[in-house]
Amino acid sequence: MLFFRSEERVRAWCAARGAPVRPLVTMDQLWRMAVTWYSTRLEGESRRPRVDEMRAVFAGIGLEGDFWDPTADSFG
Amino acid sequence: MSVEFDVRVKMAVYGLFAETGRRPAPEEVASRAGLDSAQVLAAYKDLRAQRLLLLEPDGRTIRMAPPFSGVPTQHRVEVDGIEYFANCAWDALGIPAALRMPGRVRSRCEESGAPLVLEVGRQGPEASAWRFHCLVPAARWWDDLVFT
Repeated sequence: MLFFRSEERVRAWCAARGAPVRPLVTMDQLWRMAVTWYSTRLEGESRRPRVDEMRAVFAGIGLEGDFWDPTADSFG
Repeated sequence: MSVEFDVRVKMAVYGLFAETGRRPAPEEVASRAGLDSAQVLAAYKDLRAQRLLLLEPDGRTIRMAPPFSGVPTQHRVEVDGIEYFANCAWDALGIPAALRMPGRVRSRCEESGAPLVLEVGRQGPEASAWRFHCLVPAARWWDDLVFT
């Protein structure tokens, strides 16, 4: 889970490694993910989101498909 | 181990990370939680199962208490004068989110090495064209969390 300066940099990095280009995430989307996972982490009753909650969070910020499905066993 | 003990240990681990920016030893956690070290190590196993903690192979040293990293990484986050290490790009934003305070993320572009300095306010990061990319699909994130 890495930072890149631009989409072009992601494509160059993946091409150099023969790796697939996965869905790109903006800083605003990443903030939403960070808040969902961690904003209550220092509280006693906090927990990681459940699978259905993860799907809803990802879908809510436009991240859909098998790549973002915590239970998928194939990835397009 | 009881749920109550697990919560006390979790609160101690995360509280000490938040206060110092570094991983606490089991003895420090035990002192904070009012338990003994054996009870702390037993709770660590439960917290690992809940995906709230990742341990080193010795079973007693904390590698990750997400979003905090127990070891130095390329993702540094400064909040209220304390420097933290994050496990990954996601966790770099997760530290200000967890602490509910503004912070400054320092990292780099993995391809070009260009430095990233990102100011993060209480409502989120400043406008930025930078991108986050992850090779590993969500279903496999915890297969090898260090690689992910």
